[in-house]
Amino acid sequence: MKKKILVANRGEIAIRLTRAIQELGCEAVAVYETPDEMSRHIRIADEAILLGDGPRCDYLNIEKIIRAAKKSGACAIHPGYGFLAENPFFAKACENNGIIFIGPTADIILNLGNKVIARNIMAEAGIPMVPGTQNLKQGRIGVAEALSFAAKYGYPTMLKATSGGGGRGIRRIESDAEMKEMIPVARAEALAAFNDDSVFLEKVVINPKHVEVQILADSHGNTLHLGTRDCSIQRRNQKLIEIAPSMIKNRPLLDEICNTAVKAAKAANYLNAGTVEFLIDKDQNYYFMEINTRVQVEHTVTEMITGIDIVRNQINIAFGKPLSFTQKDVQIRGHAIEVRINAEDPKNDFMPEGGKKVSVYRSTGGFGVRLDGFVYQGYVIPEVYDSLLVKLTVHGFTWEETVERLKRCLHNFAIRGPKTTIPFYVNIANEKDFVTGNFDTSYIETHPHIFHYDEDASEVGKLARFISQIHYSRENPFSK
Amino acid sequence: MTRIIQGSPAKDIVATLRQAKGYYITNTARDQSQSDFKNRILLHTDLMAAENRDKAGYFSLEITGGASIHVDILRKQVDPFLKLKKLREKMPNTMFQTLCRGVNLFGYRPYPQNVIRFTVREFAKYVDVWRTFDFLNHVPNMHAVFEEVGKAGKLNEPCICFSTGPEHSNEYYVEKAREIITVTGRDITLCIKNHGGLGTPKRIGELVNALKQKYADVPIHYHGHNTDGNDVGRIVEAVRNGAAIVDAADSSFSGFYGPPPVLTVVQTLKEYGFESVGLDEEAVIATSEVIRDQRQYYEQFESQIKGFQPTVQIHKLPGGAMGSSLEQAAKGGFLDRMSDILHKELPRVQKELGNYWSVTPGSQILWTTAVANVLGGERYGNPSGDLRNLLLGKYGPFPFYRPEDWIYEKVLGDDWQKVLEREGGVDAIIDMDLAHERYALAELLGVEPTDEQLVLYLQHPNDAVEFFKFSEKYGQVYVLSPAIFFRQGGFIVGEKLAFRDHHGKEHMIEVGPSPVNDAGETSVYFNVDHHPSIFNFKAKTAVGQQGGALILSKEEILELAKAGDVRSPFSGKIVEITVDEGQEVLVGDRVAIMEAMKMQTPILAEMGGIVTLISAKKGDGLKPGGKILKIDPNE
Repeated sequence: MKKKILVANRGEIAIRLTRAIQELGCEAVAVYETPDEMSRHIRIADEAILLGDGPRCDYLNIEKIIRAAKKSGACAIHPGYGFLAENPFFAKACENNGIIFIGPTADIILNLGNKVIARNIMAEAGIPMVPGTQNLKQGRIGVAEALSFAAKYGYPTMLKATSGGGGRGIRRIESDAEMKEMIPVARAEALAAFNDDSVFLEKVVINPKHVEVQILADSHGNTLHLGTRDCSIQRRNQKLIEIAPSMIKNRPLLDEICNTAVKAAKAANYLNAGTVEFLIDKDQNYYFMEINTRVQVEHTVTEMITGIDIVRNQINIAFGKPLSFTQKDVQIRGHAIEVRINAEDPKNDFMPEGGKKVSVYRSTGGFGVRLDGFVYQGYVIPEVYDSLLVKLTVHGFTWEETVERLKRCLHNFAIRGPKTTIPFYVNIANEKDFVTGNFDTSYIETHPHIFHYDEDASEVGKLARFISQIHYSRENPFSK
Repeated sequence: MTRIIQGSPAKDIVATLRQAKGYYITNTARDQSQSDFKNRILLHTDLMAAENRDKAGYFSLEITGGASIHVDILRKQVDPFLKLKKLREKMPNTMFQTLCRGVNLFGYRPYPQNVIRFTVREFAKYVDVWRTFDFLNHVPNMHAVFEEVGKAGKLNEPCICFSTGPEHSNEYYVEKAREIITVTGRDITLCIKNHGGLGTPKRIGELVNALKQKYADVPIHYHGHNTDGNDVGRIVEAVRNGAAIVDAADSSFSGFYGPPPVLTVVQTLKEYGFESVGLDEEAVIATSEVIRDQRQYYEQFESQIKGFQPTVQIHKLPGGAMGSSLEQAAKGGFLDRMSDILHKELPRVQKELGNYWSVTPGSQILWTTAVANVLGGERYGNPSGDLRNLLLGKYGPFPFYRPEDWIYEKVLGDDWQKVLEREGGVDAIIDMDLAHERYALAELLGVEPTDEQLVLYLQHPNDAVEFFKFSEKYGQVYVLSPAIFFRQGGFIVGEKLAFRDHHGKEHMIEVGPSPVNDAGETSVYFNVDHHPSIFNFKAKTAVGQQGGALILSKEEILELAKAGDVRSPFSGKIVEITVDEGQEVLVGDRVAIMEAMKMQTPILAEMGGIVTLISAKKGDGLKPGGKILKIDPNE
C-alpha cells in the first residue's frame, strides 16, 4: 500500500507539497475549511478531508488535523509555511501520536523560535550578530534597560517580539518617548499573536540587504547549504520579490556567509530544511538575524538555480534517509527571480481584492518559467485567506536574461476581475536600480514612482473602455 | 498664379492678395460643421480630407474658433490644440483660420484682458489667419486680439458684421472700416461677415464697391451663409466688385445653413471671367469623394427642418445658430410656434433692441428673448441676465439707437434709470491671477498643467477639467471614426472595429456578447487585439458613475478625525476600543488599537472631547474610512 502524507495547508503551497508527495510515489491527503471547498489543492490531492467551517481556525487546529491524519491513515504531515508550520506544540503532537512531522523537532522549533535563546546559541558558536538585549524585564526595569541600550547604540532601534518571526512583531523605535509608549503595545501585540509577551531590542542596521541561506540537514549528521537568496525588496518587512543567488559581487563574502549559515545550523543541531537569515550593511558586515524552521515561500528560486527539490528532500529527511548528495554536488547555475502575484491594489496600501471574481485568467509559460499557483478562471478571491494568486519564478542563464524573462512573463499574464500586483512588478522590472541589481531593504520607500501606473495603461485598453461605453449605452453618452 | 503658403509674413500675404489677378477661396469647414452638423464633424473626418484639402490650394482652412473649441472638448473629446497639430502634419501648406469673438473669445461673455492675450498667444502658434469680430461692431472690443495677433506675426482679419435695415448703410460700414484700419493699419484682410446670409447680391456688390472705393489696397474677404440658397449670387457680386477672398465649403457635406459648395462658386465665377487663384479643382472634387461616405454617420446632427430658409431675411438668425435653435425648439416641444417666433417676434425684438447684428453672443440674446416673449406670454416679462447686461451696456454701446424706456423699465425695474447710472457701461474686467489659476488646475489634475491645458481651463473651467480626466481614462478618442464614435444601437456581436491609435499602432476590437447577470449588472466582452477584456456596468447606473464604494483618502480621514469623526486610517482589524462612551479624551489619547499587516497601531484622538458614539467593536475588519467612533467637543 502507498504511504499517505497529509498536507496541513492550503493554497499554492498545498499544491506544491502534493506534487512532491505524489512524485515520491506516496498519496497526498488534503484538508480544507468550508470557504476553501472550491480550492484547487483539494482536487489535485488523492483524498480530501473537511476540517470544519473555519475560516483559518481549523487550519490552526492541531487536534482536528491530527484526527484527520489518523482517519486517513497518513503516516506523516507536512505543514508547509504559515499556519502550524513553526508551532512546536504541533510538532510535539505529531510525535506523541506516532506521526512523522516533516520539519525540525519540536525542541529545535522552540529554541529557534525564541529569538533570545536563538541569539544565545549563535553567540556561543561565534556567529556575528547585531548588538541586542536579552528579554526585557517586565515593567519599569525593562523600560530602563531599553533606554540604556538605546543610549549606548542610539536610535533608531528595533523592538522585537521574542517569539515573533516572518516579519511579524517587529517595530522601529525612534525616540525615548516612543520606546516608553511602544513597549507595552508591543508586549500586548506579542501576547495576542504569539502567546508570549517577551520582547527585546536590537540595534538597527540602516538600509541593509536581506540575504538568507537555504540549509538542508539530515539525521545522519550531514548539513549543507543551497546558496543564497536576496529578499531585500520588502514592504513593511514583508517580502515582495526574491532573488537567487544574492547579487553581491564579493564572492568570498557570500561563501563565508554560506559557511557561517552551516555553522549556525550545526550549532542549533538543526534538522530538515531551514533558512538562516542575515543582514548585510553598507560596509559588507553581516549579522545573523534568525533561522526560519520551515520551507519558505521563496524556496522556488533556490530550486531553480540548484535543480534540487527542497520539498522532496524534506520528506526524505523526515523519513530518516540521508541526503543523496554532498556540498560539492550543489552547483549554482544562473539566476532566478520570484514575484508573488497577489490580488491586491498596491496603490491602495496593497488592500486585498477579496470577493472579486477572476473573470479572465491567462498565464504564461515557456523556457525558464515556473508557476506555483492555484488560481483559475472563475475563481473568487477569498476574503478570509491571503490573496496570493500565483508565484511566478523565472530562471535565466544571466541576470539580464532573467529580468527580460520576468518582463515577458508579466506581460503574458491576463488577469481580469481583481486588481493585481502585476503592474507594480512591471514597474520594478523596468526600474534602473533593480535592473542593475542595486537594491536594499529601503528600495520600496526610496523608489515611490514604481507605484505610478495605470491598470489600463495601454492606449488601446482605454479606447476599448470608451467603446464599451458606446456599446453599453447604445449611443455615445459623451456626445449628446 | 501665386498660392499663399502657410508661414508667410502677414505683410507678404496682403501684398500677394493686392497683386492677385483673380480671387482666393477659404474652405470654411468649421462653419459648415457648426451650421449644418451642430459642430460634430470629427477630427477623424477632417484628417481624411486633409491631404486633398491641402492640395486644393485654398487661401485658408477655417477649422477652429467659434463654438468649436467648446464642442471639441465637451462633445468630441478632442484637444483643440492637438487637432491643429495633427492637421498641420497632413497639411503642411494651407493657412489655418479661426473665428474669434473679440473680448468674448470663443465663449459668450467678456474675458479679462490677460486671459484674452494669453489665449491668443497660445492659439496663434498654430493659427495663421485671425478673423475677429464683435457683435456690436464695437472696435475697442477687438483691440487686445489685434495686438496679440500682430505680435505673433499672424494675419489679422478684422470683421465688419453685416446686416440689413435702414441703419445699415454703406456710409456706416465704410466708417467702421476706417475705425478698424486706424487701429490695425492696412496690412490686413477685411472681412464682411454676413453670418446670416442677408441681403441681395446687389446689396453686397454695392458694399464691397463702397469699401474698395475708399480702401483700394485693403483686400476684402467676403464671408456668407447659404441659408436662403442665394449665397453664390452674393459671392459673385462681391468678387465682381473687387473682393479678394470668398468663403465656401466641400460639397459632399453641404447643407442648408452653411457656406455654398466650392465648385459651384468656381464654375459660376469662371463664366464671369474670374479665376480662382491656385485652386486645384481635381483636389476639390477628390476631397468630397473621400469624405462622402462619412456623412451618413452625422445624420443625427443635421437640422430638424430640411430645406433652405429664405425667411432668414426676416428673422436674420446666423447660419451657425440655426441648427442649435431648431434643436432647442424640437427638444422644448415648440417647433409649431417657430413661425411666430422667427417671422413675427424676432424681427420685432431686433428692432426694439437696437437693430444690432444677430451673431454670437448677441444672437442668443435676441433668440432667447423672442422665445421667452412668445412662450412666456408677457413680453420682456422674464428677461435673461444677458439681456440685462446688454441694456446696461456691458458688451459695449448700442450702435444706432437705444431701446425704448419701457424695455429698460421691464428689464431693470422701476428705478431703471438709477440702476443704469450706477451699473451702466463697459466694465473694466480685472485681470485674473493666472499663477493662481494654474495652481488650482494643478490641484485638480494632480499634475502641473501645460499652457495649453490652462488656456482651455480658462475658457471653460469645468468642462476642461472633465475633458482632461476623460482623456486620462479613455485615451485619445479622436482616432475613432464616426462609424464607431457616433454608433447608435450598439455594435453587433462578432463585429470587428479597426483603428489606429494616437501613437500610430493598429488595433482590432472584436465585439463579444454582453450578458446581464441576476443582479442586473452587464458585462461587455471584447477581444482587444485578441486579448479577452471585460467591462462591467452596474445595474441602471448612469454612465460615469460606476465604480465601487467610496473609499476616503488619508487626508480626508485626517480631516474627519480632526472634526471628531474617528475613522480607520487603513484597512485592518480592531484589536481593542480603549475608551467608553461618555469618556473624556484629550488630543493624542489612545482611543483604539488596530491591527494591519500583523502590526498593532494605536489610533489617537485628533480632537479632545467626549466619546459619544462607538460604531466599531473588537474584531471588526474595517476598510480605510470605516467608522470607529465619534468625539463631541467639550462645551
